[in-house]
Order: sequence, then structure tokens, then C-alpha cells
Amino acid sequence: MSAVVKTVTPFTQRDLLLEALDELGVVYHEKGNAIMTERVDYYGAQCFIYEQGAYRFQHDSSANIQSYRWRQLNFKEWKTVSAFLGAVEKVYHQAYERLQQRMAAEERRRLEEERKRFVEQQKQAVIQRAKEQGYNIKEIRKGNKIQLQLVRTTY
Amino acid sequence: MPEQRITVTIDEKGQITAKTAGFQGEACLDELQSLLEDLGTIHEVKKTDAYYQQNAIKVTKKQTVGRT
Repeated sequence: MSAVVKTVTPFTQRDLLLEALDELGVVYHEKGNAIMTERVDYYGAQCFIYEQGAYRFQHDSSANIQSYRWRQLNFKEWKTVSAFLGAVEKVYHQAYERLQQRMAAEERRRLEEERKRFVEQQKQAVIQRAKEQGYNIKEIRKGNKIQLQLVRTTY
Repeated sequence: MPEQRITVTIDEKGQITAKTAGFQGEACLDELQSLLEDLGTIHEVKKTDAYYQQNAIKVTKKQTVGRT
């Protein structure tokens, strides 16, 4: 007999996990390094506990059947632990994608600011030196380029 | 009165191109060297006809002085 086991995506980012739970409308509260949900099984509130770099879902191992007798469960569509974690995983992925896009946009902005700063620095250095050498300076913008026309009269 | 002119173009990446006019011979390179020192590694130097003409005139004058 052989089997294939697939684990749920490790929830490594606390903020993203909370964002996912908010999006799903799951009521929770934080207690130490645990996120307690409103899903209450035989052993109490099912929760995400942070250990070894990720949040792992703690629950009654029998609570993965449709006919499980919950002490409290507000979501009919996620009666089993698998269904619930599947939903959380999907929304967590979407939140992660949004985070990646935000970071890429911020990085692009940072690089652009750095580029502009460098060009301005180059321009100011040329202007300073040209003035010291007695040139008159005229600055013209040509598209994305800066043109400095330095003119000096010789006698 | 003669004019010395340098046109400096800085592109969006900070790369500099400088073109001179009104300088004699190697003076243009000396001028650019002091203007652009430490602002980047020089990648290409193109000497225009004026650069060589000025040098040719200098050589001719010397020869003329040598003959008399």
C-alpha cells in the first residue's frame, strides 16, 4: 500500500494569517503565541500555534469528519478541519501575492528615487566645477536627459 | 571674442556625454578631465577634426620657425 501526503502551506507570516482569517470572517483572539479561533471541538478552541517558524493548526484529530459533534461551529461550509484549512490556505496565498506586489512596487519606487538622486548629484557636480572654471551655464531638459551648455569667453 | 563651449548631456542613468568646441588641440581633453573627474569611468573618447587640425597648425608653425 502506498500513499501520497500533502501538507498545508506553512503559515509563516502572522500578519498574513490574520488577514486571511479576517477575510474569511473567522472570529479569533490572540493568546500568547496562539491564535484561538471560534471553532470549538471536544478539546476546546481550535487554534494556530506558532512553533518552529510557522503557525500550525491544533485540533482534535477526529474533527475531520462531516459528522463530528462540534461544541461550537459557526461555519457550515467548513465542517471538517481539511475544508477549513483549505479555505485559509487559499486566502493566505492571495494575501501573500498582494504582499509580494506591494514589496515589488516599493522596491521599484526606491530604485527610482535612488536613480533620480544620482542624476541630480552628477548634474550639481558638473555645475559646481563649471562655475569654478568660469563658465556660464544654461540647463535644458531634452526628454529624459539633462543638457548643460557651458560657455566661456576667452581673451 | 572667441568662445569655448562644452555641451554636457546627462542621461536618465547618470551617464555623461560631453562635447567641446572652441578649444585648441589637447586643451579640450584637459578641460574635460578636470570637469568630469571622479564622475565616472571614461568609456570612449572621440577626437574631432578640429582637434587634429589644431595640432597640424601647431606643427606647421614650428617648421616655419625652424626654417628661418
